[in-house]
Amino acid sequence: MKAEAALSLELEQLLGKLLRYGTFVASAVIALGMAIFPIARAAGTRAATAGIVLFILLPVLRIGAMLVFFLRTRDYRFGAIAALVMLIIFTSFLVGAAES
Amino acid sequence: MPIALEAWLFAVALGTSMLGGVLGMASGIFIVPILTMFGGLDIHTAIGASLISVIACSCGSAAPFLRERLTNIRLAILLETATTSGALCGVFLAGLIPTPYLFVIFALILLLSAQQMLGRRKESLVPLGAGTGRWAALRLDSSYPQRSPDREVHYRVQRLPLGMTLMYGAGLISALLGIGSGVLKIPAMDTALRLPIKVSSATSNFMIGVTAAASAAAYFARGEVITGVAAPIALGSVVGSILGARILMSVPNEKLRLMFVGILLILAVQMMLAAFGINLIGHTP
Repeated sequence: MKAEAALSLELEQLLGKLLRYGTFVASAVIALGMAIFPIARAAGTRAATAGIVLFILLPVLRIGAMLVFFLRTRDYRFGAIAALVMLIIFTSFLVGAAES
Repeated sequence: MPIALEAWLFAVALGTSMLGGVLGMASGIFIVPILTMFGGLDIHTAIGASLISVIACSCGSAAPFLRERLTNIRLAILLETATTSGALCGVFLAGLIPTPYLFVIFALILLLSAQQMLGRRKESLVPLGAGTGRWAALRLDSSYPQRSPDREVHYRVQRLPLGMTLMYGAGLISALLGIGSGVLKIPAMDTALRLPIKVSSATSNFMIGVTAAASAAAYFARGEVITGVAAPIALGSVVGSILGARILMSVPNEKLRLMFVGILLILAVQMMLAAFGINLIGHTP
């Protein structure tokens, strides 16, 4: 059980870092896009949109990190649960794309 | 996009995310009414931008909760199957439900939030050893460190099926209205799953981002996440949630709470009027 507690702590630290740096990178990309928008409209919009996509992807990346962690600790039940959540998010995207 | 509108959107996101952080609610419940009623934006555009704000706030404020070991990650991912399924269903419905009805549903959720803010959350911790332990195989029970007195608090997850059902509803409402649905998630965790308050707040915050991502992916694919609106909103939310987390140290006092009950009520009335205004006048606000 001791080893499991250490592993769980490792996962918490990994997720904390992922979210912190991810938030910073996505914000920086959006800020960059907004800053260059007055000079180059198309490039600015594209960069800001990329930052927004990064924000949407952050929680998905988080699930991905958890999926890898569960597989590594041979917790296949929770690995499957994480995969299911990712699949539902992807389906939601497809539903939106089909309706547009 | 005019600079003035960008600045206004940034300010709205900053203010609401900061207050959201202080009050322990997501920003979406304030952003959608403000953008539709004061900004004159289409409700779907407002929801798309609001979802990005909800993700940004959730990601920006998750780290301290994780560091304190308050988040129950296993429980969060299990409940996320329910919230994202609900979101998927909500995404379908959002395209079908006429705008006036969306306003009415939103007004009801605002009233529910006001009522919840008036009442105090009660700790309903079940002592370890109680409960059926039917879900033992899932190993959801956990513990968190308490400061004073310095000890490890163990807790057991109760009534999982009821919790999952409520989470499905929370995900559906989240996708439909572009809110974090903390107003539905917190009671599900407090009263159905019987989690300690700190654990349910942290776990709910962790889950809100994933739920909102499921909805945001669909809104984005549908072209309802407008960059010019969502970009300043996202930046304002990040700055606001960081500031809010700092202020959170001092617990909100009674006056502040009552003020927010007032704001929620005013927004609810406005949303309700807007719903009927559309029926009478026949145009989108």
